Amino acid sequence: MRFIPSSAMRTVRSVASIALVAALLAACGSGPAPTGAPTPTATPAQAAAATATPAATATPAPTPAALFPLTFIDDEGTTVTIPSRPQRIVSLTPATTEILFAVGAGARVVATTDFDDYPPEAVALPDVASFQGVDVEKIVGLEADLVVAGGNGFNSPDAIAKLRGLGIPVVVVYAPDVSGVLKDIELVATAAGEPVAGATITAQMQAEIGALRDALGAAGRTPPRVFYELDATKEIYGPADGSFVAEMISLAGGDPITTGSPTVFSIPLEVLLAADPQVIVLGDAAYGTTPEIVAARPGWGGMTAVTSGAVRPVNDVVVTRPGPRLVEGLRALALAIDPAAPLPPAAAPTAAP
Amino acid sequence: MAAAGSARPAPGPAQAAFEDVVVAYRDRTIIRGVSLAIAPGERVALVGPNGAGKSTLLRVLAGLVAPRSGRAFLGGDPVAALDRPAIARRLAAVPGQAALPFSARVEEVVALGRLPHEDPFRGPRAADRAAVDAAISRVGIDHLRGRDARELSLGERQLVLVALAVAQAAPLLVLDEPTAHLDLRHQVAVMELLADLNARDGTTILAVLHDLTLARHFFPRLVVLDGGQVVADGPPAAVLTAERVRAVFGVDVALTGGTASGAPVVATAAGAP
Amino acid sequence: MPRPAVLALLGLAVLAAVIVLGVAAGSVAVAPGDTIGILLRALGFPLERTWAATAETIVLELRLPRVLTAVVVGAGLAVAGATFQGLLRNPLADPYVLGTASGAALGAAIAVLIPVRIALLGLGLLNVFAFAGGLAAVAVVYRLGRGGPLAPLTGLLLTGYAVGSLLAAGLAMTMYLSGANLRQIFSFLLGGLGGSTWMSLAIAAPLVIGGSVAILARARALNGLLLGEEAAAHLGVDVRRERGILLGLATLVTAAAVAVSGLIGFIGLVAPHLVRLVVGPNARHVLPLAAILGAVLLVIADVVARLLGEIPVGVVTAVIGAPFFLALLRSARGGYEL
Repeated sequence: MRFIPSSAMRTVRSVASIALVAALLAACGSGPAPTGAPTPTATPAQAAAATATPAATATPAPTPAALFPLTFIDDEGTTVTIPSRPQRIVSLTPATTEILFAVGAGARVVATTDFDDYPPEAVALPDVASFQGVDVEKIVGLEADLVVAGGNGFNSPDAIAKLRGLGIPVVVVYAPDVSGVLKDIELVATAAGEPVAGATITAQMQAEIGALRDALGAAGRTPPRVFYELDATKEIYGPADGSFVAEMISLAGGDPITTGSPTVFSIPLEVLLAADPQVIVLGDAAYGTTPEIVAARPGWGGMTAVTSGAVRPVNDVVVTRPGPRLVEGLRALALAIDPAAPLPPAAAPTAAP
Repeated sequence: MAAAGSARPAPGPAQAAFEDVVVAYRDRTIIRGVSLAIAPGERVALVGPNGAGKSTLLRVLAGLVAPRSGRAFLGGDPVAALDRPAIARRLAAVPGQAALPFSARVEEVVALGRLPHEDPFRGPRAADRAAVDAAISRVGIDHLRGRDARELSLGERQLVLVALAVAQAAPLLVLDEPTAHLDLRHQVAVMELLADLNARDGTTILAVLHDLTLARHFFPRLVVLDGGQVVADGPPAAVLTAERVRAVFGVDVALTGGTASGAPVVATAAGAP
Repeated sequence: MPRPAVLALLGLAVLAAVIVLGVAAGSVAVAPGDTIGILLRALGFPLERTWAATAETIVLELRLPRVLTAVVVGAGLAVAGATFQGLLRNPLADPYVLGTASGAALGAAIAVLIPVRIALLGLGLLNVFAFAGGLAAVAVVYRLGRGGPLAPLTGLLLTGYAVGSLLAAGLAMTMYLSGANLRQIFSFLLGGLGGSTWMSLAIAAPLVIGGSVAILARARALNGLLLGEEAAAHLGVDVRRERGILLGLATLVTAAAVAVSGLIGFIGLVAPHLVRLVVGPNARHVLPLAAILGAVLLVIADVVARLLGEIPVGVVTAVIGAPFFLALLRSARGGYEL
């Protein structure tokens, strides 16, 4: 699933959500009302800037009363009802933690996972989930009133069912592609009672993604064949067909080499040699893989990427984490693919005040 | 004196009978028309070469094998009309040997004999326990109480199995080669026990034996089975002659002493003086 | 030798103590006094609430159903194990010997792959498929293993092995295709009581308890089989009928246990053995005492698993059970005749 919906349509959606919130504000009748719903403008950046201003000056006091109780459908199709603005939020995925802090709900987060690493304030929070599973007892003990969990088996479905059975609202998020990430940012932000901040962030990310794509496309070059190495200690693992990483590579100006199947993540060496990557991006750089190690691997020396020295490390966390730093990852990936890529200037960080 | 808990069989129709029994599996006929009657209180030995069908005949009587034609009877009733518990009350079988998967004390093994009499839910009652004790004493293995049955010698284990059958208190006791792996002392002990059970308690005994000496000495009636048919039936003196043994078993023997003596039936190699 | 009734009372007292221990242990500290207070209040004693509402939720909604599920599953596995050991006359038999494990595992794996989310009465697709898989596997083994030239018991055992291997291959294939869901299948295979709810207990308990009581009612037939099928027939046991009924009941109990808690090993093998060492092979004594011992063992194993950071309980039972089993084999006298 490619990032096909045009940037204009995405902008309309985020503008519409902001308009909805603005309308709710108007309906509540307190605080300065915006001067009518903003009309979609030509450039996404202008539209985001135009709508951001009235939303920022609206006083937050009436928003919680209007937004909750909130009922919506999460990424697994479950209808979730959040009775009131959550004050004790538990995040069970690192991406969710980043989202919550980015939209200004960080003060209301009471627990995260033990592999959360960003932002720094999150690391100090108590851990209620680890690789072994979710500690339902601890979550209950912390009197959580909202839990955000990862779908597709990231967090144990048993634990999610348990928590729901005890009356704790659990929102399950799962983003199989980039548009899913933006949707999840808004979903989590809304669930946490910060829909405006969420929409602001996604609008900006959207704009940046569009600008990046335009800039890379404008140069008129053929995208090089890129192999994103997830791991190669025993078998070689790379992006599966239609996977998130494959989409990121395409957006970053590359032509992704994939495994040939949507469910298999390993790729035999012969197949990789036949595909002959022009660039190898080391997603496993954090685990010690260096371009020298790659060049020394038997059989790899013949690949174009190795002979031309186009083997580059990348921070895999920002490339793969479905959170607000995704654009940062996209830029890093684009530079790893082509250090001379003509990137537009980076926007200011979108963390809420 | 019969011990408390064992039953004196009532006189009446034949304890066990076979009426033109034919047993065949697909193309092999094992029993070719056997008719036989065993009266209550008799002591009968069934002898014959391997493959003659002796064990099969016992299994027909116990209802484990259905004859192709003909009928078997227990206590006057056709076996085919009796259910398993009914058969168990009329016939107690002592196997040649039995394997125990778990450790079990001698009393526990003997207590299995009371299964046909136990209350299905509450288990053994006082009368059952008394019968078990009586059987153990009757067979003379009081000294083995408390021992793990798996640690006994083969001879002792055989006595335990006989005690089990005695505890079952059935009027007919059937044994399939009870002395197969026993030493001489235990062979004699088992034979004397059977004779005693027969004489004092009136238990009808039908035993398959390989040892012609024991058969000749301890059993007043021998039935010789060969090729699925009864070839001789009567007292040992009449049945067990050198000619018959040569005809049925294909071995030359010298019969020493009279049938009443314990002198063995001695097999001679062909042609030896 | 202590009377079985005395042992049973002692066992039940130990079980009660272990249940309280199980409910008191967890990652959130609840004072022992509060734990007992919460339990007593739930049982109907008029006590004042001196503890936090979350403590009560944790004890009654999270820990108690889990511990009670451990009781039911442990007892069921022990009874099923004892039954299979007696039925197959093989002290090395466990509840999974005829393919229940492989069938349930394959059923669970298939359920995980199906991208449908249904919950029927609080039981997910996984539980239902695991249950059905376990039953189906044994039904196939029973059909295929009967008749044929081999003795019925040998035929059953060998067919169980063959069918189990086939199902295991199917499971391996399913796991290979499962991608991201591998973790879920794996945690089922290793066994765990983390998914226990009051609902799953309400469905599994009647099956396990009902099946176990029905087996106990047929203890006479099990005893008869001690010396072999022919000896049992001579003792008045309808061997074919009893074998089928006992097999069916033991499989039902095992499948119900596996459906709620995955594959937990060694309890069904070890508990009956320990009990036999003390009270002998009489099924009327072994079955209830093994049930109690199995329950105690599993509750303790689950506490250990929880305290060690939610490792799968099957790992704990294996770590404890395997060395015990080796010791058992070494001290066995007279070999194990079949």
